[in-house]
Amino acid sequence: MAFKESKKSDRGGDRGERGGDEGDDKGRGRGFARKKVCRFCADKNAKVDYKDQPTLKYFVTERGKIIPRRISGNCALHQRAVAKAIKQSRGLALIPYLVLQG
Amino acid sequence: MAEAQKVARLREYETVFLVKPDLTDDTVDKVKDRVRTIVNRDGGKFLRFTIWGKKKTMYPVAKQPRAIYIHAHYLGGSVLVAEVERNLRNYDEVSRFMSKRLADDIDPETRQVQEDVKLAGDVDGDNKPFGGAEREDFGRDEYGGDDFGGDLP
Repeated sequence: MAFKESKKSDRGGDRGERGGDEGDDKGRGRGFARKKVCRFCADKNAKVDYKDQPTLKYFVTERGKIIPRRISGNCALHQRAVAKAIKQSRGLALIPYLVLQG
Repeated sequence: MAEAQKVARLREYETVFLVKPDLTDDTVDKVKDRVRTIVNRDGGKFLRFTIWGKKKTMYPVAKQPRAIYIHAHYLGGSVLVAEVERNLRNYDEVSRFMSKRLADDIDPETRQVQEDVKLAGDVDGDNKPFGGAEREDFGRDEYGGDDFGGDLP
């Protein structure tokens, strides 16, 4: 029983380390990227809104593609909401479907 | 006795629609009045019109590079939304519309009718191309050279 418990806490500690100190681990191989926070979770007042073009612009590339979660740092819930909002916003021509570049 | 009078609960909706950019204010007002009349006639409650003004669209809409955006905010039922959309579809001036439900189960008494708002829209010549200098937050080094970005310029 005691063994099991200690193992559990061990694992928790490991996770803490990974999320922890920023910058220190930077550049030491893969997997130690900066911790990203979902900006909609961080700011309780921020709402995903298809009418809010300036905010949604952050989640599409210059070409008009939706930026994946692993890059934007959104949580699953908010990434789904953002993706939906972008698609709705495209229908109203607030966000492009694609941007042609020369 | 308290439950004798049951208030009709309505849903809260918003509809954004685009009209052609060359319309005068009078014509826009006519479209507005039409929608307002329909909503109030069919058992809804009209809350507010917000005219976002003439804005540049991200791609040509109805062969026009810009459009006037109108936002309507109202309470009603699903039948009412269908009726509003049917009327918008019949209007030649309206090129696009989208309705969205915002909330269920609203007591119409709690929402006040607000005055219409008119925003300026884009000023001509101030149209930044999509993806400008303010996008630098998504630079590559921030993600430690992730494998994404192979197709970024």
